[in-house]
Amino acid sequence: MKKLIQFKRIVKEFDGKLVLKGIDLDIYENEFVTLLGPSGCGKTTLLRILGGFLTPTEGQVLFDGQDISKIPPYKREVNTVFQKYALFPHMNVYNNIAFGLKIKKEPKDIIEQKVMRMLKLVNLEEYADRAVTEMSGGQQQRVAIARALVNEPSVLLLDEPLGALDLKLRKEMQRELKKIQQEVGITFIYVTHDQEEALTMSDKIVVMKEGEIQQIGSPTDIYNEPVNEYVANFIGESNIIDGIMLKDYQVMFEDKKFDCVDFGFAPNERVDVVIRPEDLDIVPKEQGKLKGIIKSVLFKGVHYEMMVETKVGTSITVKMRVSEDRPVFNEAANEKISANDFYLDVEDVAELDEATIVARADAQAWNPDTDEFISIKEIEYTIKQENGTYPVTFRTAAGTAVTVNMIVKDENRVVNKEYQEEIFAVNFFKKADEIHESIALETDLKTWANASAWSLEDGSPVEITSIHYDFDPETVTTGVYEVTFATEGYEYKVDTTDFHPEGAEVGLTFTPEDIHIMSKEQ
Amino acid sequence: MKEFRNMAFPYVIWIAVMIVAPMLLILLYAFTTAGNDVTTFHFTLENFTRFFSDMVFLEVLRRSLFIAIITTVICIVLGYPIAYIIANSQIKHQVRLILMITIPTWINMLVRTYAWMGILQDNGLVNQILGFFGIGHVTLLYTDFAVILGMVYNFIPFMILQIHASLTKMDKSYLEAASDLGADKVQSFLKITLPLSLPGVISGITLVFLPAVSSFFIPKLLGGGQYVLIGNVIESQFLTSGDWNFGSAISVIMAIIIMFSMYLTKKVDKDESAKGGDTV
Repeated sequence: MKKLIQFKRIVKEFDGKLVLKGIDLDIYENEFVTLLGPSGCGKTTLLRILGGFLTPTEGQVLFDGQDISKIPPYKREVNTVFQKYALFPHMNVYNNIAFGLKIKKEPKDIIEQKVMRMLKLVNLEEYADRAVTEMSGGQQQRVAIARALVNEPSVLLLDEPLGALDLKLRKEMQRELKKIQQEVGITFIYVTHDQEEALTMSDKIVVMKEGEIQQIGSPTDIYNEPVNEYVANFIGESNIIDGIMLKDYQVMFEDKKFDCVDFGFAPNERVDVVIRPEDLDIVPKEQGKLKGIIKSVLFKGVHYEMMVETKVGTSITVKMRVSEDRPVFNEAANEKISANDFYLDVEDVAELDEATIVARADAQAWNPDTDEFISIKEIEYTIKQENGTYPVTFRTAAGTAVTVNMIVKDENRVVNKEYQEEIFAVNFFKKADEIHESIALETDLKTWANASAWSLEDGSPVEITSIHYDFDPETVTTGVYEVTFATEGYEYKVDTTDFHPEGAEVGLTFTPEDIHIMSKEQ
Repeated sequence: MKEFRNMAFPYVIWIAVMIVAPMLLILLYAFTTAGNDVTTFHFTLENFTRFFSDMVFLEVLRRSLFIAIITTVICIVLGYPIAYIIANSQIKHQVRLILMITIPTWINMLVRTYAWMGILQDNGLVNQILGFFGIGHVTLLYTDFAVILGMVYNFIPFMILQIHASLTKMDKSYLEAASDLGADKVQSFLKITLPLSLPGVISGITLVFLPAVSSFFIPKLLGGGQYVLIGNVIESQFLTSGDWNFGSAISVIMAIIIMFSMYLTKKVDKDESAKGGDTV
């Protein structure tokens, strides 16, 4: 096979924004190539550059060895099937398809022959005289394909052509497109964000992200050997776990050693381990390479999709005291002032400053008539770096003052030895109003409780993913409530045809071939 | 929905009193003789026979249609390129250009026509400039030219706005598709842009031809006292001669001619769309 199209270091800039960052790509004759990526990855831009509707900022497009970067679309040997078909609304099906041939001034009888052959190819023989505006989406799609193919281009460009169709029709058209491509034997370049579509039809998939090519390969290559986490996640579903490559053919994750078929990594290199959900099998607990609890079961038709938790997250529970707002009223100065008690960790005492105290105590003073804030001029406190209760007094210039307590405690952390994780949060005081008015309560609760978690190995932060509380934020009144913060455990998605109930303790097993190792570098 | 239907009553009454009733009255006047009272009517076709048997009136009718058609054609020929240029410029420029087209229509048409009298008269602006270059005195005012100029000037904004609207409404992807299929810019324009903007041209024709064929103050001011178009005849029947019956009859004739011409243009438009690219 010979190279038909070569993109050479294609760069495209829109208003100073780089949409394509130097694309190098070769496309061969008779290939079905899919440009795959999320919206905004530059796949459509690349297609439009090939179609001639955009000129690259830098780089060359070679077609059959000739630079076509400066040739206008109407002189190029490519035809496009547009995203929304762009069928001419003032022409019927026949005239839409015949448009290109009429422009080329082909004889009438030849035009008729070719159009009729195309209508047959796309199964629309009966519809030649139909107005395109009266056709269904699927039929319009076929007309658009016929209109492009009738010109016998050497390359057909398809810009998300099935996006507007419903699922069933889309599947049907996928098969049909592949059939058409094999029948006419020309190169198809297909743009989509649908990974399944890409896997079904393509000879070659080009995975793109933010204007760069991530991986080029056959569907099986891309599915079984993704080069990085991005590709693995984009193509199908996968479980991606942090691991360490101990030596060739041996990887460690979840503190256990496993055989694998990958090699060529540095000793003890940190890697991403990919296991596809369909490659994991559920077995009795004792036989499993990993043990866990089934957290959820979804019925997907052919199979069940189960989430199996093999590691519980680290959690901490703190107390939230909700109090009434009872500000101190200074009648002489017509000022009100309020503040609340708050908890501190011993380690925080050293770094304590006035701004932090005002913020943590939520201290504020205001004029009750105008609601205007009055600045707090004086903050009086003494504190030691040990457990205990320390008073703090806030005072305005007019002498209006309020005193609250700073409570220092050092029992605010939970350590998970097994997984080397630590989580921290403090008890806190809040007024009912502040909870009622919170727009993002979970984020606010994290801030109020000063909650954070980190890895004990390298101190890197660990995200707190679940927050539980036992009150209704709309109706909460004074009292003491519990708030629990927790990090994410390890969860595996498993696709299986055997049913297991939620909450069952099970084992997970897999073969060395099921594991795919990816370097973290790429 | 029923209670909402009741809310249409004020409009029904409005339409009945302000539109339907006057039209019926015109019809009634057109088919009756002068001097009737409320109780007795003498129905007659005399008003119509009088119009069609008098060569003077027929000549006036011919001239009116001629002037209106010339005006409409000039408005299309000048207006289409202007609308096309505006529609293809940047959005912010488009807004400004459209504003420039519309601003003059904010001033009363009569005032603007008087201004043209000043410009075109024998010692007016045009003749002074021509004189400055040594070109002799040209009679501009009170000619066909002046009347057509006045009409084109007054009515062309309607044509431009209609065509502009239909051009901007058109999906640009059609042009990309045409280009993709091998059509160069001229071919794309002739086969895609032009046919798709025809509805705009048709409604532009409606908006220009209608007022042009029935206008009476433009011929009066720019054509002079001797220059009579059908609008002037109707006006004088009502205001000078006091023959409301004859004036009504001419109005009815004009209404029928206009309705017929509108029917024809709409039909042409429809055929054009149905026939599609076969004209290629």
